Amino acid sequence: MMKNRFKAADIIPFISFVAIFVFFTIASKGAMLSAFNLSIILDQSMITIIVGCGVLFVIAQGSTDMTIGVNLGLSGVLAVHVGLAIGHPWAMLPLACIFGLIVGIINGFLVAKCKVPSFMLSIAELIGIRGLINYIQTVISAEYITNEMRVLNTSAVKIPMFIAIVVIMIYIFEFTKIGRYSRAIGENETTARFVGVPVDLMKITAFALSGLCAGYASILAVAQINGTNMQMGVFLEMKTVMAIFFGGVLVTGGASAKIYKVFLGALSIQIIINGLGLIGKSATQIQQSVEGVLLLLVLFITMMASRGRKIKPKEIEEEEKAAVQG
Amino acid sequence: MSTGQTILEIKGLNKYFGPTHANKNIDFTLKTGEIHGLIGENGSGKSTLISQIAGLYGHDSGEMILKGQHYDPQSPIDANDHKISMVMQELGVVGTLPAGMNVFLGRTDKFTKFGIINKKQLNREAQAIFEKWDLPRVPMNKLTDGMMIETRKMIELARALSVDPDILILDEITQSLSLNNRRKLVDLINKLKEDGKSIIVITHDVEELIEITDTITVLRDGAVVGNVMSAETTPDEIKQMMVGRAMEGGYYREDMVPEYGDEVVLSVKNVTVKGEIEDISFDLHKGEILGFCGLSDSGIHSIGKAVYGLSKLQKGTIHLNEKNADIKSAPQALRSNMGYVPKDRDNEALMIHASIRDNFVLPSLTELQGPIAFLSPAKLSRLASETSKQLSVKMTGIGQPMDALSGGNKQKVNFGRWLAKDLKVLVLDCPTRGVDVGVKAYIYSLMKQAKKDGISIVLISDELTEILGMSDRLFVMKDGKITKEIRRDEDFTEQSVIGVMI
Amino acid sequence: MSNEKTSDLTIELKKERAGQIKFAIGFVVVFFALLVLFHVITGGQFLSGDKITVVLLHSIWPTFAAWALCFIFASGYTDLSLGGIMVLGSVSACIFGNWYGYIGVVLGGLIVGLVLTFINFNIFAFTKIPSWIASIILALIYEAIAFGMKMGASTKSLVDTELNRDYRLLGKLPWSFIIMLVCLVIVYYIYNRTTVGTNIRAIGGNADVSKALGINITKTLLGIGVISGILVGIACFMQESYAGRVTVKTGLTSINMILQPMAIYLLAKVLEKKMNIIIAVPFCSFIIYAVFNVLSSLGVPSGTLQESVLGLFIVVFGVIGQMGVKGVVK
Repeated sequence: MMKNRFKAADIIPFISFVAIFVFFTIASKGAMLSAFNLSIILDQSMITIIVGCGVLFVIAQGSTDMTIGVNLGLSGVLAVHVGLAIGHPWAMLPLACIFGLIVGIINGFLVAKCKVPSFMLSIAELIGIRGLINYIQTVISAEYITNEMRVLNTSAVKIPMFIAIVVIMIYIFEFTKIGRYSRAIGENETTARFVGVPVDLMKITAFALSGLCAGYASILAVAQINGTNMQMGVFLEMKTVMAIFFGGVLVTGGASAKIYKVFLGALSIQIIINGLGLIGKSATQIQQSVEGVLLLLVLFITMMASRGRKIKPKEIEEEEKAAVQG
Repeated sequence: MSTGQTILEIKGLNKYFGPTHANKNIDFTLKTGEIHGLIGENGSGKSTLISQIAGLYGHDSGEMILKGQHYDPQSPIDANDHKISMVMQELGVVGTLPAGMNVFLGRTDKFTKFGIINKKQLNREAQAIFEKWDLPRVPMNKLTDGMMIETRKMIELARALSVDPDILILDEITQSLSLNNRRKLVDLINKLKEDGKSIIVITHDVEELIEITDTITVLRDGAVVGNVMSAETTPDEIKQMMVGRAMEGGYYREDMVPEYGDEVVLSVKNVTVKGEIEDISFDLHKGEILGFCGLSDSGIHSIGKAVYGLSKLQKGTIHLNEKNADIKSAPQALRSNMGYVPKDRDNEALMIHASIRDNFVLPSLTELQGPIAFLSPAKLSRLASETSKQLSVKMTGIGQPMDALSGGNKQKVNFGRWLAKDLKVLVLDCPTRGVDVGVKAYIYSLMKQAKKDGISIVLISDELTEILGMSDRLFVMKDGKITKEIRRDEDFTEQSVIGVMI
Repeated sequence: MSNEKTSDLTIELKKERAGQIKFAIGFVVVFFALLVLFHVITGGQFLSGDKITVVLLHSIWPTFAAWALCFIFASGYTDLSLGGIMVLGSVSACIFGNWYGYIGVVLGGLIVGLVLTFINFNIFAFTKIPSWIASIILALIYEAIAFGMKMGASTKSLVDTELNRDYRLLGKLPWSFIIMLVCLVIVYYIYNRTTVGTNIRAIGGNADVSKALGINITKTLLGIGVISGILVGIACFMQESYAGRVTVKTGLTSINMILQPMAIYLLAKVLEKKMNIIIAVPFCSFIIYAVFNVLSSLGVPSGTLQESVLGLFIVVFGVIGQMGVKGVVK
């Protein structure tokens, strides 16, 4: 019976994914299913998935990191500018990762050591760092990457880059201590601390990984637009966090956090955006409200399902007896 | 009101919490002008019983009759309206509100005129309650955050008295009071008795209970096992009822000689944790069970935390000889083959919504790592299923969430996961809290085995019988300091301990 | 015995009062010292009637929003959709103001602010989704509604028209200041001296105790919805009266609108140990807008680096406010 509880919460995201897919396939009269369109959906989910794999560590711990959008913007902008300034445009690749990592570590430090609530920090940086990006872009200038670097936007480079980071993140999240400890912190931080999990270090690590992924993804974002602009990473944090919750991860994190859910959620959100476009309803207001209402619903249902039915004492007793006999 | 009439009668009360049957067919009678003691080990169901009387929980079956009428309180406020109030063991006050406000919280409407609370009047009335019952003075306008536990308890007591109760329930209130205030409390109880009110008292202290009460009801494993007149009983009789027959014969250690190696495994020197413990020093030997006993706020629980590196030491060192290192953090303790079973199983020890497997492997992850930090899921599952089979944990599978297990089985997981490791030091804080007799016996046998295997154990418990039954040496603590050390072959009796404990 | 006690009490009260007076004097001194400091930094530009008026006027509507946050945060909840609500409320105050005059301005803002905030707290209370995440999603929806109106063929002109200049008196001195003073008294009493105010602080302080003492959590939450809703509603029409228009925002940028109130709240929270938070809010509001004014005078570009400064403020006040906090912070 208790097992069913977990399954119910896990199965809802699949159902909503299929429902969304079927709905838009029918509504778009099959246009959704064209190979070209499907490849667009995959292409546009890439950044969300990369960033999502990083944020998942933070969300698994029960915190949140909504700085990834501005972090991606800042890392990209700074990396391109510094790379050009020192005369090595290609240096932006490692630089983007380093800048992302630094922002992540600072965030982790503020949350773990200074105990600033993570959502408050996120909100502050959402506006603070965006202000900085806008300043750099308006006061200094928008920059363009060199022609050779445009190779970054070809499938032959993009896809291996995507697979590489995702595989690393899956490995760390599912098969190492960092992932397991992160989920333990989300389940019960006191327990984790009392067992001897280095909680502060794990929090900083999670934010660092989240920042690293944002920095890495900024390379793809820069390649997409051939340079930098003020719109880089706008709304990405929302899209990513929504994707993770859409995929069935609980807001409290813990054992409900799984990497596959990032994929599921990111694709669901991209299908909604894409599908609304296909049926001619791509206006911002429609897109935002559809996403908002759907997300509220999914959050509500997963929470209800994971809380489960009330346990009846008799059933438990019988279950225990059965367990003894079996 | 004349005394001696039945004011509250309870018949066949049952209460379940998930898988635990917390109250089994409880019958209970309370008379006017009676001071009625309730006693039983942790998890025996006494708190559950009074919580139902005070309207905190509903009951699943059975009946309560108050002054001849059916009584089924829907909330603590409903109970207050029936003139029943309670000072709860683990509740407390709202720190963000001033003391006076705390006394009347939830009932501020009666001081309200045109929507505005008359603060002066409220504080005056609160003050009047303190004066009427001769409680120590408390600044009414001050936030309760930062007040001492004892002061906070007094505010809670004033809150309970403010409804002018016919039945006052005191749950473990004495253990957080100083001697002076304990006396005041006893006077207060007697004054209430003279007025024909009834009082239900819960305390762990058997002698104290016999001294202040008229009648005592003993509970064990959720059921009433005895009902005696305080004047006609002895502490031994009560204790016998509390622990039951299963207690005798192989339950605890039978030998009366301390037995441990000469090698000092862990030495604690002059450890002070601000506001908790002061200048604590002791050596823990190989294969030794070292007991710590004292009242709940005597600092015994802080010892466990400090030894496992969870507290910020103001002074002193905790030295692990094998590694020749001072323990400064919990992660370091975990790396150094130490283990810790905290007191509060559901909130501090286990991830109750996670699976049994996840709970099992948590302390062992470092040891289970393969090359490039790889954690093989198969390996984790094997550890969890093998150990839980050894411990005969009753479950449907290791994927089952923790909260589906009974208290005893949860504790088996909590305890057993440490034994799966190659431990040197194990810190146990109330390891048998809230488990039934069978599991209790099993946990003691595990402890004996661990001792035989050379593991050194720090055993902290508020159950004296347990400490006396298991330790090689014991330390009695009071007010954050060690007041006495007794070896197993010395005067190893409750009397000698209680004398210095209180 | 009892005589001795009463005299003890009076001494204590006197001591307490003396302490408060000392702090109040100290605070006023620091406050004016800050103003002089600003004056010096800006090369003697700050302390002029014009500048002070500008800062004071600007600091008034955020004061109301910060008061709303006081109630919300005191209960342990968060509402990040207030910016989205304020956009809608201001638009409504403008539209109805242009149609019906002052009654339209006041009711247009008040009703939208109240109704939407109340809806939010219903959602928090009944779905049990953590309020910060639920409110972000609600912000999305409110933004979408405002943006839809701005894009709609029939509503576009309504949103784009500014509030008629004849109806902007509430945003000017002395009226706006008088409204604030009156509300200061009322809000002070609601927060400190009413049952609902006490209950709100109680559930934020210790929800378990509050529940055990018979405080109805759901009812209290809805109470916050009403009180903070009214304050948000007032903030809406004060904003519209002050600025005459509001920019419709998408992509969660509406959150920016309550960042300044949040900075005010956090600063007031730092002072809370010595000063009632409701009284501290208007002062903090003034200080924060004075700082932005000084930054502008110093040539720090608004909209970019000033926003960074604001973000930094929030983090710094957050760090100070959390000092000494033990336990789990997510």
